[in-house]
Amino acid sequence: MDYTLLLIVVLLVVIGLVILYSTSAYNGQVKFHDSFYYLKKQAFATVLGIVLMLFVAGMDYHIWQRLAIFGYLAAVALSVAVMLFGREINGSKRWLALGPFSFQPSEFAKVALILFLADLVTKNVKTIGKMWTLCRIMFWILPIVGLVGASNLSTAIIILGIGVILIFVASPKYAQFALMGLAGACFMGLFLALESYRLERLAIWRNPEKYEKGYQTLQGLYAIGSGGVFGVGLGNSVQKLGFVPEAQNDMIFSIICEELGLAGAGIIVFLFLLLIWRFFMIASGSRDLFGALIATGAMAHMMIQVILNIAVVTNTIPNTGITLPFISYGGTSVMFLLIEMGLVLSVSQVVD
Amino acid sequence: MRNKTYNKKKMLVVFLSALLMIFFLIARLVYLMIFDAAYYQQKAKMLHEREREIKAARGEIIDRNGKVLATNKAVCTISVIHSQITDPERVIQVLADELGIEKEMIRKRVEKVSSREKIKTNVEKETGDRIRAYELDGVKVDEDFKRYYPYGNLASKVLGFTGGDNQGIIGLEVKYENYLKGVNGMILTTTDARGIELADTLEDRVEPVSGDTLQVSLDYNIQEYAQQAAEKVMEEKQADAVVILILNPKTGEIYACVNIPEFDLNDPFTLPEGTDSALNDEEKQAMLNQMWRNRSINDTYEPGSIFKVFTASAALEEGVVKEEDTFYCPGYKLVEDRRIRCARTTGHGAETFVQGVQNSCNPVFIEVGMRLGTENFYKYFEKFGLMGKTGVDLPGEAATIMHKKENVGQVELATMSFGQSFQVTPMQMATTVCSLVNGGKRITPHFGVAVYDAESGEKEETISYGKRKQILSKETSEKMRRILETVVSEGGGKKAQIEGYRIGGKTATSQTLPRSANRYIGSFIGFAPADDPQVAAMAIIYNPQGIYYGGTIAAPVVRDIFDNILPYLGIEREENP
Repeated sequence: MDYTLLLIVVLLVVIGLVILYSTSAYNGQVKFHDSFYYLKKQAFATVLGIVLMLFVAGMDYHIWQRLAIFGYLAAVALSVAVMLFGREINGSKRWLALGPFSFQPSEFAKVALILFLADLVTKNVKTIGKMWTLCRIMFWILPIVGLVGASNLSTAIIILGIGVILIFVASPKYAQFALMGLAGACFMGLFLALESYRLERLAIWRNPEKYEKGYQTLQGLYAIGSGGVFGVGLGNSVQKLGFVPEAQNDMIFSIICEELGLAGAGIIVFLFLLLIWRFFMIASGSRDLFGALIATGAMAHMMIQVILNIAVVTNTIPNTGITLPFISYGGTSVMFLLIEMGLVLSVSQVVD
Repeated sequence: MRNKTYNKKKMLVVFLSALLMIFFLIARLVYLMIFDAAYYQQKAKMLHEREREIKAARGEIIDRNGKVLATNKAVCTISVIHSQITDPERVIQVLADELGIEKEMIRKRVEKVSSREKIKTNVEKETGDRIRAYELDGVKVDEDFKRYYPYGNLASKVLGFTGGDNQGIIGLEVKYENYLKGVNGMILTTTDARGIELADTLEDRVEPVSGDTLQVSLDYNIQEYAQQAAEKVMEEKQADAVVILILNPKTGEIYACVNIPEFDLNDPFTLPEGTDSALNDEEKQAMLNQMWRNRSINDTYEPGSIFKVFTASAALEEGVVKEEDTFYCPGYKLVEDRRIRCARTTGHGAETFVQGVQNSCNPVFIEVGMRLGTENFYKYFEKFGLMGKTGVDLPGEAATIMHKKENVGQVELATMSFGQSFQVTPMQMATTVCSLVNGGKRITPHFGVAVYDAESGEKEETISYGKRKQILSKETSEKMRRILETVVSEGGGKKAQIEGYRIGGKTATSQTLPRSANRYIGSFIGFAPADDPQVAAMAIIYNPQGIYYGGTIAAPVVRDIFDNILPYLGIEREENP
């Protein structure tokens, strides 16, 4: 088993909990009169996730080849369920209520899709270079992208990204992906032009100080800039005191920058980089394609989410809601991420 | 299926692109956190820091002897901070008991979710200290200042008062605002997004600088005595108003400036009792403005016979008349088609110029005015400083209202010669008379004398009023003193005589417009000693009931004041008058 990967994951989870407590204590106190409110929920999901991770890590991952289709169907069913019975939080319908807990199906969908696509692509790898095969695989991806995208565009983009990377890795060709990239760019352009509020987002991105809706972005930048090289010290952020709204969510990286400075933020980014490097090593060391694609899927998932999150927080790209894995608040997210880690760890058991 | 080499190559491509993008983002972070850091830190600081002002103590106003006329009283502002209150019921109970406010009023503010809610301002310091002693969480007692005038209505229209944020509203408080106000200090605190101060952040503090102490030429004792004298005559004569000006004719320093009715400086927004209470805001403000008006400076009047001092000085200076020139008064004088009457309708008969002044004989002055001519009249009017303002250091001084020279005919010239058909302020009239008898130097009447540092007590500035211009020859000025002394010793000003003092003066009785209303102003200006004036006093009684002659009602007021203040000022009685 890849103990380096395990160590990095444990480090990230622990650091994540510390930072989550630091950023969420104020909001917890203000909203629920309990500064541990967010930490308690996150810690519970993390413990559950670690148990599941170790359990999955010990299994032979080939078992998922047979279960993948059920996972896929469950993801579709849950996405439909959330559209019908979902609970709204902060204006988004993304959660299913399960007694005292809430569950975010889109987080499950990411893991399910990685397994499902790894299996599907493996089975079609001989003809993967053909357009027809690509279309068939896309036919499976698009329903779930559409269903998730209805309530959570960012996650839909991540799922699509994972799919494209898996196909890219499986295929021997390059040219058609360049073509796909071009088509994707055109599609994005059209998409933006059709919806004026998205164009407005572009304008806000260029000049966050001039728009009221640029508030969150701007507050994130204030936090980042306030950090300097070594930060104001853990727990000492002022921006988390309501200036950056819901600091424990998507914008948590900006508070990391403020409290721990460039040095601390750099260490966290470096940990993510190590994580992605381990995924790459496991993927390229895997004997069979299915295992390699599971690791690649996890790598794709991790890199897309980390890169997009930091890019949004630093206002490098227009604002879109993407959480920082292991660190942002979200029990479902951290639990399924840990299960995903378990899958990669189980793949790592049989590397060359 | 095997994991083939090309698959691994592709994985490397994916990994490398991730690496590339992450490095790019790190570069972006370095840029934001090192090169842009100062900019964002500044912005964030501005967002987090709240300034709370610490009021500077306003400078005191002291009289010529150092008596404090305007000072500050320590008061407290009581406020509550919702999020810090732990025992709201006790807070409500204590504040209601101590401040005497309805519990419900306090409850509303205590329960309001806001950063800071004021409960009451201008609370006595002792009450504030008592509330502080309860050590209630979330209750803040802040020290504050309130302007306080120890003598209530003394010189109210001169001193003026201050408004809610301690800035001058009228009077010297406005004029010397820049000296008095000081520089407010500041407390910088860090707050969260709701504006609540963070408990553990270091406070940045800028200490306030107290305002300077202003010394004015007023003399508390003289002002107080003159005010009593004015109140007495106001009561006796059932007059509308009484103005008394007492000044040093050589320097222009004003010892007293009384404007009855005065108002309470510690309660300047309350109209006098008996005022219609059903006024709207606009009407109320108009009434307040009226109550605050300083008649001696803000309003003009027809000076009447006191103005003959001007005509006499100009005529003597120009050489168109001599003291022993003789005139005949039949009780009136015909000017063009108008028959202008003398005060004594039976006529003064044959009289010299000096006797004409003593009798305040209009026909004599009409004749003298004619000899001067319009051109000379205006020349001296300008030269003696009557045309402009006196330059007194109070806001809102009214300008002289005068005929245009080209519109002046014989009738206008005649009436102007004895002080009618134009208007000046009492301050302007008194200043001009002083300037004509002090040796001929035009003075600037003033209150502000010096400015002292509030802490060290060191003098920072002596307020100067420019060079005194020679407007009349010493000789003519001396003649005028002599003539005006005879007005008191033998003429219309006899009621101002005091045993042992040489006093010069001039009476006046003028009818206000419209003439049909039969309303009068009786006034008198006196100076002493007549040969070397050290002090001058003018009393003006507006609309007295019954006898209204200045010589009868105003001269005794000045006599009474002189009787008291001449010894006080160290002016010795002469053994053999």
